[in-house]
Amino acid sequence: MSKVVEISPTTRHEGHSKLVLKVNDAGIIETGNWCSITPVRGVEKLAVGKTPEQVPKIASRVCGICPIAHTLAATEAMEASIKCEIPKDALMLRHILQLANRLHSIALHDILILPDFYIPGTETKINPFTPEEPVRSVAKRIQRLREIGQTIGQIAGGDCIHPRNTRVGGMYRNVSEQAKIKMYDLAKEGLVLAHAQAEFMIAVIRAYHKRDFVDVGGMKVPLPKDLGFHDQGYLATHAFYGSSSLEENPSWNINRFKEARPWDWYMGEMTVDLEEPRYPIGGTTKVGTKVNPQMEACTGIPMYDGQPVEVGPRARLVTYKNFDEKGTQGQNVAREMEYQDCLYEMMDCIDLVNPMGKVIADYIPDGDGSLGWATNEAPRGCDAHIARVKDWKVQYFSMLVPTTWNFATCSAALKGAPWQLAEVIMRGYDPCVSCATHMIVLDEDNKVVAQKLIQ
Amino acid sequence: MLHSEIVIVGCGNPLFGDDGFGPAVIEEMEKQTLPDNVTIQDGGAGAPHFIFNFLNPEVTKKLIVVDIADFNAKPGSISKISGKDLKPGAYIDPHSWDGVDQLCRIRDQIDTTIVLCQPSRILKKGDEDVDMGLSEEVQKAIPKAIQVILTEIGVDYGTT
Repeated sequence: MSKVVEISPTTRHEGHSKLVLKVNDAGIIETGNWCSITPVRGVEKLAVGKTPEQVPKIASRVCGICPIAHTLAATEAMEASIKCEIPKDALMLRHILQLANRLHSIALHDILILPDFYIPGTETKINPFTPEEPVRSVAKRIQRLREIGQTIGQIAGGDCIHPRNTRVGGMYRNVSEQAKIKMYDLAKEGLVLAHAQAEFMIAVIRAYHKRDFVDVGGMKVPLPKDLGFHDQGYLATHAFYGSSSLEENPSWNINRFKEARPWDWYMGEMTVDLEEPRYPIGGTTKVGTKVNPQMEACTGIPMYDGQPVEVGPRARLVTYKNFDEKGTQGQNVAREMEYQDCLYEMMDCIDLVNPMGKVIADYIPDGDGSLGWATNEAPRGCDAHIARVKDWKVQYFSMLVPTTWNFATCSAALKGAPWQLAEVIMRGYDPCVSCATHMIVLDEDNKVVAQKLIQ
Repeated sequence: MLHSEIVIVGCGNPLFGDDGFGPAVIEEMEKQTLPDNVTIQDGGAGAPHFIFNFLNPEVTKKLIVVDIADFNAKPGSISKISGKDLKPGAYIDPHSWDGVDQLCRIRDQIDTTIVLCQPSRILKKGDEDVDMGLSEEVQKAIPKAIQVILTEIGVDYGTT
């Protein structure tokens, strides 16, 4: 007979989410619901009536982790709506900024997943904060990679957290020749470290997935070889950067995107009847607690070609590099493989920047109310922003962020895994739940049918 | 990243009303000429994940964090506390880390001061709809906070 177990809140990711799992007598997940419980913010509504310069700044504050991706996607959605093409040097600076963001984000994810894994050849789980070797050197390397990413982001973007050099129509300023050399030197240093870090992480990830059993809160849990497998599709719009409706052949099609309401997708009201006090941290939800993912979930369910899809590093590698590893292992390995790709691409972009080149478009239109969109391949996946600008006022703005895409896909990937490993599967998506929580659901005619809590 | 002797970080999210106090103080300070050994940074909502890369105990002598906090005072009141008086919280996980916990780990190496403003409305973590803009009382507290910060770092531009 099925039992219901709830892990709430989930840990080691940004924002608040929970897992509601229907499991069989052996503790294997029959149906898994991963849903956001971060309250809805309604940023899209706030954007209406603001100028196209203000909205990317608002978008960048949606979450503390991904401001760069949101700034770039929102700025480019504005440019797509007003039909403004930016100079090549401005685009290169944006590429560098975006890659710098990806670099330090992968490094942060390493810290977040390391406690799940073992030091290879031992039964010791990794504590990334221990002063003992070999972990100390790894932690220092991660820290240096984050410093490098943030510094390059600061040089190209004017600020490493909320970039201020980006503007509608290009960038406020170009970089100097010295700044260009500095970025190149840092990228070269980063490449050596990223190579070593990726090798270490991939070894640790593979060693973990070769095990038959893993320890979770003192429980010996069997580790299936198909952990995190799903049959959903993948969505990536570029190997590194993104796409926009301004392009002749854009790699995202807004007409192939639809959104379902959470109450059509998630399980209804149930009562928790399986409790495990040993589960880290603080045990699972108490028996007798009522749960209702249908009503508690704070995001819509986006679909591409009629089904939820996976976005993120593996989606990019599958789409553009013939990567074919499935499951949580493949996902984590793909992210590590992006380390070096990211730095090689960054060096190419730095090479292409001409410090004497112009970085602002000659003419920035006010907008005629056309719908424009832009995607940015954020560290966690495709971040699509959609905008309509008329007479320099935003009439419509929507953010379709990576983790929103991944909620339903990850829920499907939970099936067949021991419930104690549900968080390991979830962390493979490097979720950023705060960003994901904006619920405006459109019907087939693109009419708004649900705006939970933001009326 | 070039490390500075003095780092000033404004924390908070301008989408949540008075929580935007820290970034607003930094925005105002950007208009001023500050000594070369000072770095000011809008830490936004992700400060605990980002600002520690600005600190190098071999170079950084002083860290000032600007934020809001409820200390039962009149809205717009400014207070400051030393990092040494902070109480460490419980470690849960690195992504949900409270910044206070991290400040406690570095306070013995870097002189840390937290400049706080009493908000007009108490915000509960994670349960707010967006509400941009500071309240009048907190807006008026910005010059006072800057004065406190400048005194703290030994800069005297005279009375303003």
